[in-house]
Amino acid sequence: MANTGWDEFEIGAMLRTFDGKIDDIAGTLQEDRAYSPNSSFVASVADWRIEKPIFAKDFCIDCQFCWIYCPDMSIIARDKKMIGIDMDHCKGCGICVEVCPTNPKSLLMFDEHSDEETELAQWPAKEEKK
Amino acid sequence: MSEMKKIKNLKEFSTSADRFEGANLLCPGCAHSIIVREVLNATNDDLVLSASTGCLEVCTAVYPYTSWDASWIHIGFENGSTAVAGAEAMYNALKKKGRLKQPDRNPKFVSFAGDGASYDIGFQWISGCMERGHNMMHVVLDNEVYANTGGQRSSSTPIGSSSTTAPSGRISYGEKKNKKDMVSIMAAHQIPYSAQVAPNKWKDMVKKIQYGMQVEGPVFINAVSPCTTEWKFDPKDTMLLTDLSTDSLVFPLYEIIDNHELNITYRPKNIVPVEEYLAAQGRFKHLFKDEYKYLIKEWQERVDAQWDYLNRREEARV
Amino acid sequence: MAFDKMELKDIEVWDGNFAAAQALRQCQIDVVAAYPITPSTPIVEGYSKFLADGYVEGEFVMVESEHAAMSGCIGASAAGGRVATATSSQGFALMVETLYQASGMRLPIILNVVNRALAAPLNVNGDHSDMYLGRDSGWIQFDAYCPQDAYDLNFIAFKVAEDHDVRLPAMIHQDGFMTSHTAQGVHTLTDDQGYGFIGDFKPMNDMLDFEHPVTHGVQTEEDWHFEHKARQHNDLMTKVFPKIQAAFDDFEKLSGRKYNLVESYDMDDADVCVVCLGTSVETAREVATEMREKGIKAGVVGIRVIRPFPFMEIAEALKGVKAIAALDRSSPNGAPGMLFNELAGALYNTADRAMLSGYVYGLGGRDLTKKHLVDLYTELQANVDAGKVTTQLQQFIGVRGPKLSFL
Repeated sequence: MANTGWDEFEIGAMLRTFDGKIDDIAGTLQEDRAYSPNSSFVASVADWRIEKPIFAKDFCIDCQFCWIYCPDMSIIARDKKMIGIDMDHCKGCGICVEVCPTNPKSLLMFDEHSDEETELAQWPAKEEKK
Repeated sequence: MSEMKKIKNLKEFSTSADRFEGANLLCPGCAHSIIVREVLNATNDDLVLSASTGCLEVCTAVYPYTSWDASWIHIGFENGSTAVAGAEAMYNALKKKGRLKQPDRNPKFVSFAGDGASYDIGFQWISGCMERGHNMMHVVLDNEVYANTGGQRSSSTPIGSSSTTAPSGRISYGEKKNKKDMVSIMAAHQIPYSAQVAPNKWKDMVKKIQYGMQVEGPVFINAVSPCTTEWKFDPKDTMLLTDLSTDSLVFPLYEIIDNHELNITYRPKNIVPVEEYLAAQGRFKHLFKDEYKYLIKEWQERVDAQWDYLNRREEARV
Repeated sequence: MAFDKMELKDIEVWDGNFAAAQALRQCQIDVVAAYPITPSTPIVEGYSKFLADGYVEGEFVMVESEHAAMSGCIGASAAGGRVATATSSQGFALMVETLYQASGMRLPIILNVVNRALAAPLNVNGDHSDMYLGRDSGWIQFDAYCPQDAYDLNFIAFKVAEDHDVRLPAMIHQDGFMTSHTAQGVHTLTDDQGYGFIGDFKPMNDMLDFEHPVTHGVQTEEDWHFEHKARQHNDLMTKVFPKIQAAFDDFEKLSGRKYNLVESYDMDDADVCVVCLGTSVETAREVATEMREKGIKAGVVGIRVIRPFPFMEIAEALKGVKAIAALDRSSPNGAPGMLFNELAGALYNTADRAMLSGYVYGLGGRDLTKKHLVDLYTELQANVDAGKVTTQLQQFIGVRGPKLSFL
């Protein structure tokens, strides 16, 4: 849309979130919605990140603390399970790691350029209670 | 009346399909977004939303992108509440006249605004909306400062906080005035429901939002929204700061029903000293100098007195 | 239908306020959000009473300020329905922020402005200060000269503003007290004729369509703002006049009453003419006729649509005239008057480039008398005879004290 001329958009700078009709938004998951090019859902803020979260599924208890406290709708929960991170929308704030209650944590922050497989392979062990 | 969404636990809540989208431009770790999600996800009903000018608005509707999946409007700094009130009036008119396109829906009308837009510049507009009895909810994202314009004091800014227009300095400890008690002021409009919420206590928040959406008439919600940028803490610590705010009782969680029934809705198991809450934020750093330590003591006394007052009101059922 | 029609006589004796209130009733406004201010208050009181008596169905929201009134109108209009309100003077000034927002968001709100002076000093009477204040706000501005016009132009305004090719808000101006509180005979439309003329409201980008959610009131910075404002200006410049003309034509068919973008009176062979707004147009017409009896070929040009400004039409209307007076009823505060400037712009590139002088009159409700106009026409004729403007370009008329003139 970057080069759109003055005569090429809707009047009033009005934006539509979806292409066409959507019947029940609250009952339709993101993957089943027809987002228009104007929804920020189709955009990415991945380049904001300095650090990124990596998710170690094995330790996750699906408590959903990360889901509820993620400010960027980037914790993907389906059928009450935490299934991954939306890396287009994650800004790397690190809240998910802070609120993760497992031992060891199921989410940890790493340098944006670090390799997921490598980090998962050397995931910290359970911390003994002192 | 529509059926209330059943949210027994967090797992069940996590099946919600968000109606607020990522790749908005809010700061990493911004609590605004967490609050908005908890409010919107408290219902499956259709929504008509507004935001007053401020962080939430400028970060979620920057052309050509919108982060809103429900109908949303922004007019100006002071009048987001009235925008929603106007939409609610139109809904009532079209309902009476049988002209609603989807007459079977039960839309909820919600306006979001910061503390600047609610406590200060939009105060009169909100007061009008509350007084006139619109079936709407006004939610304040209370970060106690004009964050969007770079950190100026508002009438929500607490004593001793350093802001750009009430900075701490060689001879000043910053803000001199105490925070305005908006929950009480709004309750005094004889509205059916006025409450303070915090995003860490999501269940309390959802319960209050659902109550507010079911009740007929205007509802006022004040939500503490720790601001990583202006409170000066690490973005990862947003929930830690929220915990400190509720557990130190600086932000007690309570509700006022019909301006005559006050209920405390969260009693921390371990009450945290106010000093810990203050120490976690850069905006209060200067209070830890010897000459200002008395202010910390006074803070604690104020918080204790307020907690005592809330308890007395709850006990007396007033 | 859950409300009753009202039987009107063919001619009712109404003041401008009541005429506007009746038009709003007949247009079946869905939401009126309003705040009282003299002299416009009776318009919204009228709607409110019609509502209380069951002659219209809708919502009346009595808000806590004019700013909130327009804010509520914007919310209601964006939700998707027919919206109107009224204001004057200080209330209009308080609304200004939201006027720009309403037009930028392309919401077809109708605002009846009963023109009144702006403080300080405080004054409740009619001048055009508030009307002029609105002229860059992106609204269509119609000007009524009498209660009949105030009635008719409401219907025309709704028809134009709500057209999906236009979607711009519109003001109908009438002079405070002189029109708003002066009862005259008003030819009426029946309720069916009036409503039939504008038809049902056709929603567009309506927030209450839950199957097509919309975002209204976005942020645009240097990469988008210019295009959006250019679009708005383009639509004002190119789309509005044809729609207004079509509405005028349809209205003439319906009522027999003819309106024009520029209302020319005795202009065919005029040597001298005044260009003015509001109730002064009618006074000037009377005086022009009398001047002709004295051998001065006088005419009057009234402007019916102030924004968009009928630049070409006014140049055409003034063709062949030798001396023109622009009458501004608002303190120019350090400049020539608005009408003087607009006319100068319209005439500068014409072959005639007639002599143009400006007059400031009637501030705060001061009467414009026939004698003022007789003197003015006489002065214009003197200019014609001398072949040049013999006075200063800007003169104050009707003010006490030493003669005030500038430029």
